[in-house]
Amino acid sequence: MTALLHTEGLTVAFGGVKACDGISLDVNEGELLGLIGPNGAGKTTFINAVTGFVPWSGRIVFDGGDLDGLPPHRIAHRGLTRTWQSLELFGDISVRANLEVAATKMTPTMAIRDYFGRSQKLAERVDATIEVLEMGEIMEQRPDDLSMGFRKLVGVARALVADSKLVLLDEPAAGLDRTETAWLAEKLRQVIDFGISVLLVDHDMGLVLNVSDRIHVIDFGKTIAIGTPDEIRNDEAVIGAYFGSSGGDA
Amino acid sequence: MEIYLQFILLGLGSGVIFAGLALGLVLTYRASGVVNFAHGAIAMYATYIFSSLLQEGAYPLPALPNPLALVEAMLGWFGIQVDLPDLPTFVQMGDSWPWPAALVIALATAGLIGFLFHYLVFRPLRYQPPLSKVVASVGLMLMLQAGIVIRFSNRARNVDNLLPNDGIDVLGTTVPADRFYLLAVILLATTILYLVFQRTKFGIRTRGAAENEQYATLLGISADRIAAINWILAGILAGLVGVLAAPITGLNPLNMTLFIIPALGAALVARFQSFWVAVWVGLGIGAGQSLLQIMEARLDWVPDINLSQGLPLLVIVIAMMARGQVLPSRGAVERGRLPMALPTRIRPRLMIFWLLFTSVVLIWASFEWRQAMINTLIGAVLALSLVVVTGFNGHISLAQLSLAGIAAFMLASLATDAGWPFPLAPLGAAVVATGFGLLIGVPALRVRGASLAIITLAAGVAIEVFFFKSDGWLAGDSTREVAAPSLFGIEFGPNSPFFLGDGKVPSPAFGLFVLAVLTLIFIAVIRLRQSMLGEQMLAVRANERAAAAAGVNVPAIKLAAFGIASFLAGIGGTLTAYKFGTFNMASFGVLGSLSLFAFAYLGGIATVSGSIYAGSLVSEGIGTLAFEKLFFPLGRYEAYLAGIFLVLTALIQPEGIDVFDRRERRRIGWGFVVLWRKLTRDPDRTKPEWATRIYPKPKPRRPKEAAELAAATGALGEKDPQ
Repeated sequence: MTALLHTEGLTVAFGGVKACDGISLDVNEGELLGLIGPNGAGKTTFINAVTGFVPWSGRIVFDGGDLDGLPPHRIAHRGLTRTWQSLELFGDISVRANLEVAATKMTPTMAIRDYFGRSQKLAERVDATIEVLEMGEIMEQRPDDLSMGFRKLVGVARALVADSKLVLLDEPAAGLDRTETAWLAEKLRQVIDFGISVLLVDHDMGLVLNVSDRIHVIDFGKTIAIGTPDEIRNDEAVIGAYFGSSGGDA
Repeated sequence: MEIYLQFILLGLGSGVIFAGLALGLVLTYRASGVVNFAHGAIAMYATYIFSSLLQEGAYPLPALPNPLALVEAMLGWFGIQVDLPDLPTFVQMGDSWPWPAALVIALATAGLIGFLFHYLVFRPLRYQPPLSKVVASVGLMLMLQAGIVIRFSNRARNVDNLLPNDGIDVLGTTVPADRFYLLAVILLATTILYLVFQRTKFGIRTRGAAENEQYATLLGISADRIAAINWILAGILAGLVGVLAAPITGLNPLNMTLFIIPALGAALVARFQSFWVAVWVGLGIGAGQSLLQIMEARLDWVPDINLSQGLPLLVIVIAMMARGQVLPSRGAVERGRLPMALPTRIRPRLMIFWLLFTSVVLIWASFEWRQAMINTLIGAVLALSLVVVTGFNGHISLAQLSLAGIAAFMLASLATDAGWPFPLAPLGAAVVATGFGLLIGVPALRVRGASLAIITLAAGVAIEVFFFKSDGWLAGDSTREVAAPSLFGIEFGPNSPFFLGDGKVPSPAFGLFVLAVLTLIFIAVIRLRQSMLGEQMLAVRANERAAAAAGVNVPAIKLAAFGIASFLAGIGGTLTAYKFGTFNMASFGVLGSLSLFAFAYLGGIATVSGSIYAGSLVSEGIGTLAFEKLFFPLGRYEAYLAGIFLVLTALIQPEGIDVFDRRERRRIGWGFVVLWRKLTRDPDRTKPEWATRIYPKPKPRRPKEAAELAAATGALGEKDPQ
């Protein structure tokens, strides 16, 4: 199986601090990979690097192409999209418009053609996403007026709508209660069923361990374990990182 | 060589005022995160008070609008002539004051203005986005400037020099001594400020609050009181600098107000953080300007194109490009949001009604109403350019009228000199304006908010001095003929014949032409708001990072917004030129740009229909004329009221009149009509689409099945890693 996303020695340094220190990671096609680690492990920095928001060194290959030097919007056009821990929705335009903005790679010609009439294809794609994620009832509202759960969902929808091959989800369950988390987990399963790969970053161990196919654990910018959820559950290094060096059963 | 040294030293005079103002800008920014465009106006205001007290013993009271004037006017409708008391204008105390007393009162006033700015305007705005703060401070600048014009007129005024200015010899050249005293004063002030910020508890608290307002508050520091004290200090400093430097720089209501631009440049290089950098750069700009002036006069290889006036812009642009997002942010939460960009729908029946109504006014109304209607239509076109760039894309552009001026000038060149036919000449002129607009837009790729407002303001001034001023590139061309537009042999200029109406100027043909242009642009911008391009502009406005991650080419979208806006401004400029029949640089000054921004914001900067309100409000527009007919001539109060309303809009109703109208029409205004409609309305009628946007439906409950789902999946979150 070829890896959809492949990073090799990905390093991000802020001054003297290395937030990511040589992370090598593969996300295979159709896979849900969990990326976990304690606070400050470098999870979000990893996502920021891959999506072109912080300068990095090393190598990132996505879908057979090198991502070196590409600006964020180009990376999104390749089919690699993300959500944000702090949501970062377009709060004052409708949910539908939020999706429409993300649904297309706009060229000048397309902008002009769209000016004289919205493309059917675009509308269909947005409608399909709205239907799959069952968010029809909030379509015309503004994200600012929605509950936290729905906002997270809009964030996920916005990352999916562009025909993504891989979605990086940054703490989608943060700020959600258990019921909402369960609801979100269900939606995520649906997403994978559509053949989209997911890299899931979250604090909620329960969520990650339950939905991931494989898990990648990092701490202080370095990989400390890779394996299936069961392996990770029993990994000494992981338990040490999360619960202190003494290890033992959690 | 001595002469160059002499000019450098002479330039310290204006350099000191730039430095002093920059010092105050840094102080207020560090204290409250506000870039105060009105800072130069405070200096100007205090200097007027000082000079008035010193020479006439008269203290000018703030020019508040007098509500009794309204009563007088309304009684006049019934033929009752009454003479109600006017508000007092000056407090006369003796003939002339000794300078120390005058200085104390002037500085106290400046300090009070600083405090009031903070307490009444910027404190309430502290969690609002930068747009609101910039708008408010521009409003205050207009207010102070126009307030002084009301009291003292536009004329320049003499200010007695408090500093000894007998010449002293420096390195073989003679320079008045007051420069050096001023320099000493400003360096002393900087040293004191520096030490206070480094060494005292107060200074450390200010720095702490600037670093992170929330944490500082949690530590029991009142960020608010600290900000107030700093605002007072900044006000006093501005007053002092103004009073001491005015004998050198001269004093009129505009010049000292606009000294804010080089001062902003200096503060920008200092990242609004370092007192010393701000002061040195401010002095450098003053000395550099003076040096460039003499070089232009003396040296052949230096082009005589007003380079010295462009220096501040150059400094600002270089500082911006070198540094990117230069203003450090504070750890404060932005709770407020930008004006909502509610879509405007094309309602054919309403539109036809207004088109007919406007046509009737344009054809059969009397001269002044026709003229006012034309002004309103052109104003709306210009306001639409701001709707695109500021409303849709969130960039504050204070140079739109300058761009319009460029198009107007180009129209004169293309149509009159080059003989281009009608639609080509104005379109070509607008394209040239677009080019300049894109140039101004380039810095927007890296900066936004207040920094961008600074750049566009400086660009507007630069366009004015480079192109329009008497000694600029277009010297001698300051008024040029523009022939009336005509197509297929039909002429439709302001003097063209028309088969209806009284046959006098302005011709209905011209009015209808302008109306057609506005209608086209109006519909085009409505469509833009609904198109992908418009949605992407709004997405960029809301969140640049997220937009980029969603695949939006942020730089391209920003440039598109600037380009479209500049094109519209250009069209507005050509219409203005056609209206006057000449290119007249006086219609495109920097104050005009500021007023245009004020009116556009007042009308509703983020909605297309807001531009119509903006157009009605412009000087000699239809709304202004109606007010004057009903009540009293506004005269000098016009700019003043624009300033006041701009500040109030930023404070209370950031969305402007348009959204206010859409929201409140039921409660006020239409009174009986609304009541009648309410009584007769079909209860099943659905709410219009905008209503659901303004009054969102109650938040949807979490889906019912969520609980069941949780049970079914075994409550995923509950499992422990073991």
